[in-house]
Amino acid sequence: MELVENVPMVDIATVQSPPVSTPPPIAVEARGMGVYYKAFRAVKDINLDCVTNKITALIGPSGCGKSTVLRAFNRMNDLIPGARVEGEVRFDGVDIYGPGIDPVEVRRKVGMVFQKPNPFPKSIYDNVAWGAKVNGFKGKMDDLVEGALRQAALWDEVKGKLRESGYSLSGGQQQRLCIARAIAVKPEIVLMDEPTSALDPVATLRIEELIQELKSRYTIIIVTHNMQQAARASDFTAFFNMDEDRAGYLVEYGRTEDIFTKPRQQMTEDYITGRFG
Amino acid sequence: MNDMRSGFHQEMVDLEQTLLGVADQAEQMVGMAVDSVCIPDMELAARVVQLDARIDRTYLEVHDRWMTLMARQQPMASDLRMMSVILHLNTTLERMGDQCVNIAKIAQVTYGLPRSERIVAQIREMGDLVRPMIRTGVEALVRRDLDEARLLPAMDEPIDRLNRNMYKEVVDCGPDAGMLEWATRMMIVSRALERIGDQVVDIAEQTAFLLTGEMMEFNEEGMAASDRNGDVP
Repeated sequence: MELVENVPMVDIATVQSPPVSTPPPIAVEARGMGVYYKAFRAVKDINLDCVTNKITALIGPSGCGKSTVLRAFNRMNDLIPGARVEGEVRFDGVDIYGPGIDPVEVRRKVGMVFQKPNPFPKSIYDNVAWGAKVNGFKGKMDDLVEGALRQAALWDEVKGKLRESGYSLSGGQQQRLCIARAIAVKPEIVLMDEPTSALDPVATLRIEELIQELKSRYTIIIVTHNMQQAARASDFTAFFNMDEDRAGYLVEYGRTEDIFTKPRQQMTEDYITGRFG
Repeated sequence: MNDMRSGFHQEMVDLEQTLLGVADQAEQMVGMAVDSVCIPDMELAARVVQLDARIDRTYLEVHDRWMTLMARQQPMASDLRMMSVILHLNTTLERMGDQCVNIAKIAQVTYGLPRSERIVAQIREMGDLVRPMIRTGVEALVRRDLDEARLLPAMDEPIDRLNRNMYKEVVDCGPDAGMLEWATRMMIVSRALERIGDQVVDIAEQTAFLLTGEMMEFNEEGMAASDRNGDVP
C-alpha cells in the first residue's frame, strides 16, 4: 500500500481511544467514518482506534451497525451495490479508502471469519492452502498449511486426514479451519463476525481460547451478540447503538473491564444490565 | 424503559431488603448488648445471643441466594457492583452480630463484679454514638447518597477517641482486683464497639463503590485518600 499524502486532520477530541497511560500502537483507525446503503445511512461519525495485538469487541443491539463497521474495515461494503463509505479508515496511518488503494491488497492484510463456518468444498489442506496459492506463494506449502492449522489449534485433530473434505469436520472444527484459512495468508488484522453464534458452548469456548492465543500475532476485532463473550474474550469493548433515524453510532469505547463494571455512559449501563427497549 | 431482566433485578432488590432488615436488627442488638453490660441485665444478654443466631441463619440464606444469582444471572456494571455490595454487607452485618455477642457474653461473665461508673458512662456513650452511625450508613446506602456516606468517618472519630481513652480509664480504676477484672473486660467491650463503628464505615465505602465504581478508603474527612490529588470520579 502506498502512503496517501495530505491526509486531512480530524478533531482528535472526538476520537474514542482506549484510555491508557501511554498511547498504544493502533492497527485500525476510523475517522469520521459513515457507511451508506444508497440513501440510508447505516452508521455515522465513527471515530475509533483498535489497538495492535489486542482483541476489540463490537457490541450493541441488532441493527446498530456493528457488522457494517466490521465490513468497512476490509472494504467488504464495496461489494454491495449502492454502498459507500465516508470518512477514513487507516491502517498504519494509510487511508484504505484513499485514491490508488487496491481493495484486494487491503483484504490480504485483513482476514475475515464469518458467523457460519464456510469452508470451501475442497480438502482440509486445500482450504488452508487456497489463499496462499491465489497470492502466488512460493515457499513450502506443507509447512504453511501445518503452521496455520497449528495456530488454529486444529492440527492434532486433522493431521491424519488432510485430504478429506472440509465438510467432514464438526461445526467447531470447520470454524477453526476457517480461522486457519484466514491466517494462512498472514494478515495483520483478523475480523470476526459473530464467529461462535452457530457453535455449541464447548466449541465456543475453544474458539475464545484460540482468539486469546492468536492476539500475540494479529489484531483481532470481533462482533458478538453475546455480552458474556465480549466480557470474557476481549481487551477493549466498543458499544454501538442506533439513533432515531436508525443510523448506528459509537456510544462508548474502553477497556473491557471498565465497560462491564463501570461504564461511563448511562446508555451503555442500561444495555448491559438489560434495561433497554 | 423496558427491564429485560426484571426477575433478576427484583431478586436483587429482595436480597437488599433482607439485609436492610438485618441491619435494623443489628442496630437494636448494639443497644441491647450495651444495656446488658451497663444495667447489667442477663436476660438482655441472653436475648442478644438468640438474635445473633437468627442473623447467622439469614447470613447463610443470603449467601446461598447470592451464589445462585451470580451463577444464573452473571450480572454486569451497576448490577455487578450491587451484588458485590450485597456480599460485603452480608459479611459485615454478620460480624456486627458477632461483636454484639462478644459484648453480651462479657456482660454475663462480669455480672456481680464491682464496676466503675465512669467506664459504664463511657461504654454507654460509645453505644449512643454507634447506633446512629448504623442508621446513617444504611440510609446512605438505601438513598444511594454519596454525601451522606461520606459523613460516616467523622461520626466514627469520637468512637475511636473514646476507645483510645479506655486504657487510661482502666488504669485509673485502682488496685481492687475485682474492679480490675471487670474494667479489663470493658476494654474488650470498647474495642467491639469501635470495630462496629469501623464496619459501618466499610458499608459507607461500599456505598461509594456502588455509586462511583471506584473502591475508596475513607479518611476522617469522609474523602478517599486519592481525593487529595483531585482524583475522585
